[in-house]
Amino acid sequence: MPPTSPASSASSASSAQPARPLVELHGADPDLVGVLSELFAAYRSGRPAPTHLVDLDRDLWAHLEELGLSRLTGSPERGGSGGTWADAAALLGIAAGAAAPVPLVEHDVLGGWLLEAAGLPDDGGLRTVCRPDPSGVALNVTWAREATHVVALWEDRDEWRVADVPLDHVALTERRNIAGEPSDTVEFDVDELEAGVVVSRGVGEQFHLRGALARSAQNVGAMERIVEIVLRHVAERTQFGRPIGRFQAVQHLISDIAAETALGRAATDAAVARASATNWTDPGMLFAVGVAKSCVGHGSSVVVRGAHQVLGAIGTTLEHELHTLTKPILARRSEYGSLHEWDETLTSLAVSAGHDRLWSLMTTGRAKAGRPSGHAVGR
Amino acid sequence: MAAGLLPPVPRELPALTDLRLEVRAFLAQQVRDGVFVPHVDTWLTRWDRDFTRELGRRGWLGMVIPEEYGGRGRTYLERFVVTEELLVAGAPVAAHWIAERQIGPSLLTYGTEEQKQAFLPAISRGELVFGIGMSEPDSGSDLASVRTRAERVDGGWRLTGTKVWTSGAHEADAFFALARTETLDPVRRHDGLSQFIVDLRGPDVHIRPIVSMDGDHHFNEVHLDGVFVPDYRVLGRLGAGWTQVTSELAFERSGPERVLSTFQLLASAAQAMEDGRLPLDEGLGRLVARVAGLHQMSFAVSHALEAHEPAETAAAVVKVLGTTTEGDIADYVDGLTATGWVEDEELFALLHAAILQRPGFTLRGGTNEILRGVIARGLGMR
Ligand SMILES: Cc1cc2nc3c(=O)[nH]c(=O)nc-3n(C[C@H](O)[C@H](O)[C@H](O)COP(=O)(O)OP(=O)(O)OC[C@H]3O[C@@H](n4cnc5c(N)ncnc54)[C@H](O)[C@@H]3O)c2cc1C
Repeated sequence: MPPTSPASSASSASSAQPARPLVELHGADPDLVGVLSELFAAYRSGRPAPTHLVDLDRDLWAHLEELGLSRLTGSPERGGSGGTWADAAALLGIAAGAAAPVPLVEHDVLGGWLLEAAGLPDDGGLRTVCRPDPSGVALNVTWAREATHVVALWEDRDEWRVADVPLDHVALTERRNIAGEPSDTVEFDVDELEAGVVVSRGVGEQFHLRGALARSAQNVGAMERIVEIVLRHVAERTQFGRPIGRFQAVQHLISDIAAETALGRAATDAAVARASATNWTDPGMLFAVGVAKSCVGHGSSVVVRGAHQVLGAIGTTLEHELHTLTKPILARRSEYGSLHEWDETLTSLAVSAGHDRLWSLMTTGRAKAGRPSGHAVGR
Repeated sequence: MAAGLLPPVPRELPALTDLRLEVRAFLAQQVRDGVFVPHVDTWLTRWDRDFTRELGRRGWLGMVIPEEYGGRGRTYLERFVVTEELLVAGAPVAAHWIAERQIGPSLLTYGTEEQKQAFLPAISRGELVFGIGMSEPDSGSDLASVRTRAERVDGGWRLTGTKVWTSGAHEADAFFALARTETLDPVRRHDGLSQFIVDLRGPDVHIRPIVSMDGDHHFNEVHLDGVFVPDYRVLGRLGAGWTQVTSELAFERSGPERVLSTFQLLASAAQAMEDGRLPLDEGLGRLVARVAGLHQMSFAVSHALEAHEPAETAAAVVKVLGTTTEGDIADYVDGLTATGWVEDEELFALLHAAILQRPGFTLRGGTNEILRGVIARGLGMR
């Protein structure tokens, strides 16, 4: 089921017909979204009870492979489905909303993309990704123990290299993140990293941005599912003789949860649209990704805290769905740059824009209109 | 949920960006020429009729009013970007704000042909200043409880009552007064209300200033002591005042002024960090991100309104988050400043104004508590 071409439609105004189009939409392919929603709703209702340790769901992964969803963003020449970033963001959000333990970001959005950028062959085996430090060690490599290869992005003096390293060539220490997901320590043989294929600087710089935006797309999808859970709960749970959703205090907690979720969605979709429209070449990507990371990250504090408050004691139990969403949200929001680091990046962009260029930065991602600029990114 | 809560976020194309740059260049020149000093919350507190008329001459007023009524026949999206540019520049826009935002659209929807001809061309030229005649001493959040009465008289109506918190009434030519045309039916409280176009310069209208805590005067109390309003100045349908005022509030609530009232302070804080006058702090980046995200959200709402798609709940979300954030900007900068930095008069002028205007941000146009109720209803909880 290869997704259709980008759902980009020029929309113009109704009250007048301007000579040039004013805006365009870069949403995901609606047919794809329909398929994904059904698929993951079925997954959610059919899966076993939650556990506190979470391992890869191999059956689901095999199913996604059959459907062409495990390499949604890969180019068709390499067996991928040719999906846009908007399509990918939809898949990531819906899968995260179903708490599906599958490495879509690691295998497709980052790993597959790096292999493609480096012109390395892709044998279809499960990949994860990381950026080892100068000694060849990478911490918190999600799903590493489940992969056949680890795709390493390696900063070698002035050059960026990509190496596709088989799992049996690395030393792996098993660890888990706060969500109970594999988040292993991987130690490479530095010679093997140095033998990697040189890729352009742009690839090295974009890796961090792509990872951060993918994590935001997952988190906002999980936040949207939390809103559904919370709404259903307050309609069913009765205290003082009425559904607790009738109490104004509860309504206000949920309004705030929904509002933060909507803000995170707006910021994420705006960054995804910019990425889709320009294939990540827009110099404003750093700012747009930072805005998404910051809005979703801070918003998730309100959502996680508020949802647990509204759900009461039942929401803190292992059998309840809530923690399968809240814990991964907290794990993911610190990946590809902590909230603090992203706020710092945005601060330095804002400060160097200064009084007169701040608004330009906020609307285009660039402090100066029309001037393309390459910002170095943090770790 | 959320699928319905946020309309699609469109991507701005060069046609809109070019319009932005044109307005931005004009405003920068006005600042250099000393026409205005950028400030915070100018859409409520800074009237400059000359400046407003100049905007009209440049085609940046009456943008969504059709040309046959003296407007520019452009789109809500084009108006949106012009509005944002005026706000971030901290320009003196109070004189036309209310007419542009809600009076023009209401007249287009509910006005008679004669009323459109009488008001819309002057609104588009920036020559007619409007206020809002909704609140009363005993009717704030519970607007349907207004007591101003309209009594049938020969050829029209006689209005008696008191409107309050009427921003800019002392500068304004007219307002829409919400009044009871039938006695209150406790089971159908929203029935029997009507809107009247009242000439604020006419006889039997008495305007008294209410001074705000910063010593400024923008609020007023407007006493209607048996004011005669002819039949042809009834707006829309008699008895349909509630529906009309609700639609007017939708325009009042959804604009970018609910996010950008303190933008000048945010921009000045960024500059002060660059210059070392404020400590470098990552709280700035967090607020910048929120305002940028809210800009995308209110753009999405504007796009939905253009396409006549429902966006009432999304507009309420923008207003709750936006008004909170614009106030948080004031509080944030206050937390970074130490007294004794007297040389920084510009920053302090913005900061103190923002702090003292802040309480109003989350009250005006419907309080955030009321709006959370609107969101809850949109989510199906009420
Ligand atoms: C700067 C500014 C400009 C204004 N300009 C105008 C103007 O030009 N024209 C005009 O007509 N009006 C204007 N207003 C008035 C504004 O619309 C009212 O202030 C607002 O509707 C709230 O009414 P109130 O002040 O009487 O507060 P109240 O309604 O008395 O509310 C007081 C507090 O109680 C809370 N509350 C009330 N009811 C509920 C409820 N059901 N559930 C939960 N909490 C509740 C409120 O949220 C608020 O926190 C202006 C107000 C301000 C601050």
